[in-house]
Amino acid sequence: MDLTIQNNEAKFLIRLADTSLILGQRLAEMCSNGPFLEEDIALSNISLDLFGRAEEMYKIICEIEGNGYTPDDLVFRRNEREYFNIKLVEQPNEDFAWVIARQFLHDIYSQEVYKQLLNSDNSEVVGLAQKVLKEIRYSYIHSKDWIERLGLGTEESNARMQKAIDHLLKYVEEIFAFDELDKTYLSDTDGVTTVWNNDVNATLAACNLQRKEIMPLTMRDYRDGFHSEHIGHLLSIMQYLPRAYPDAKW
Amino acid sequence: MDKFEKAFNDIIEKDLKVEPRDWMPEKYRKTLIRQVSQHAHSEIIGMQPEGNWLLRAPSLRSKQVLLAKIQDEAGHGLYLYSVAETLGITRQEMNAQLHSGKAKYSSIFNYPTLTWADMGAVGWLVDGAAIVNQVSLQRTSYGPYSRGMVRICKEESFHQRQGYEIMVQMAFGTPEQKEMAQDALNRFWEPALMMFGPHDADSAHSSQSMAWKIKRESNDHLRQRFIDRTVPQAEFLGLTVPDVNIKLNKETGHYDHSPFNWDEFWNVVNGNGPCNQERLDHHKKAHHDNTWVREAAAAFAAKTETIVA
Repeated sequence: MDLTIQNNEAKFLIRLADTSLILGQRLAEMCSNGPFLEEDIALSNISLDLFGRAEEMYKIICEIEGNGYTPDDLVFRRNEREYFNIKLVEQPNEDFAWVIARQFLHDIYSQEVYKQLLNSDNSEVVGLAQKVLKEIRYSYIHSKDWIERLGLGTEESNARMQKAIDHLLKYVEEIFAFDELDKTYLSDTDGVTTVWNNDVNATLAACNLQRKEIMPLTMRDYRDGFHSEHIGHLLSIMQYLPRAYPDAKW
Repeated sequence: MDKFEKAFNDIIEKDLKVEPRDWMPEKYRKTLIRQVSQHAHSEIIGMQPEGNWLLRAPSLRSKQVLLAKIQDEAGHGLYLYSVAETLGITRQEMNAQLHSGKAKYSSIFNYPTLTWADMGAVGWLVDGAAIVNQVSLQRTSYGPYSRGMVRICKEESFHQRQGYEIMVQMAFGTPEQKEMAQDALNRFWEPALMMFGPHDADSAHSSQSMAWKIKRESNDHLRQRFIDRTVPQAEFLGLTVPDVNIKLNKETGHYDHSPFNWDEFWNVVNGNGPCNQERLDHHKKAHHDNTWVREAAAAFAAKTETIVA
């Protein structure tokens, strides 16, 4: 099964679809592991939004590609190098601070991207962006509230949040190294960078958290299918059944 | 009998609902706290055997449905903890009782989920058995519990259909899938029947609960209803119920069955099931690993709280 994406718009959209899917899977890992029941339910909600968003985006991609593949084929039959999510979202749930920091750094980025997709020429993308923006708003408020609580809560929570931010920031740099595809399908890529930096800087400063200088890292680009070590494990769990029983229908 | 007790007895007799502000016998309150908290804990611990397959769900649809379902269970736990709180116990106390082993939860969740077909069997049989019990509890005499059950039953019937849908996919799928479906039925059939509790004659809390209308129908009666409903569903799937004596009795109109293995039932209730330790350890770990989060939230709330004069 050759699932190589041919169309340029589909190549751009699959970055967003994969990013949603992988983050949804990471959040699903939190189910029954939340700090208390209400928060457990909230994380499942956000995870469900992300899976739903990914599925709708894969449908649009399959339609554009028109080769008869389904969203499930794209999810369950591609290998690591064929996945194009940002590395940030595949980082593990080391503790609740990681979950929240990852979500917050993602939500600001994602919110601005979907805002710009409201200007897309593809009406299905516009429709999806309208729906997604409502969901992200909620997720953003949720993650930002927690950044505040943990940053300003106790000495321990501040230290844990700082550690999570320090680690995750190194996976953010690549997001803003926009290529021609990004520049074609987003209306203002510089705007994504500016919005993200302004919000992160202001929020961290207000929550007694530092934004440390990150030395430039030699890390290959997610746009070329490069990942951290975590993705292989995540996929091997997620894809186990369809890979082990290729003839079965589920 | 004082006027409060008389008022309480009147409520029960007239099939009205007892509300949190009403006087009630201490034993009625205690019985309800035990039952409702046990019910809440079951919903919460029940998230784990299904969560075991969440990350491996084989399609986008099944992944979302399963996650939504587990999230519903968490929501049911939340309603039920709230019901119990109206009786004068806190969520922290209930949590501590769960961790110390003082409070129980349904033994069915101490069985492992070994294949994807178990997600079908759990929805079909475990939620199916729970619905039979919970539909009956919609008429329970304690108002908040009764109203909670009405809402929960609506979602549970969606859960059972979700489970049966997986069973249909598996039973009519490849030979390997059908084998998994049969294997899941073999493992979950008897434990599901035991969810209704001991036989009426051996049930420690039954008669008083029936008199107070906390419980409306007996364990054996509910169990039989479940068997009668489920055997034809298994036949539709082309699966074999793992009991050679299952047979429709023309005289009674009910299915006869073999005696159950009560030694296993009590063994699991008393902590020696396949996963008792794992389920509790998982819950404790999630709670203790996140103590710092709850402390931070409390500290932040204390710092930012508006002082009302």
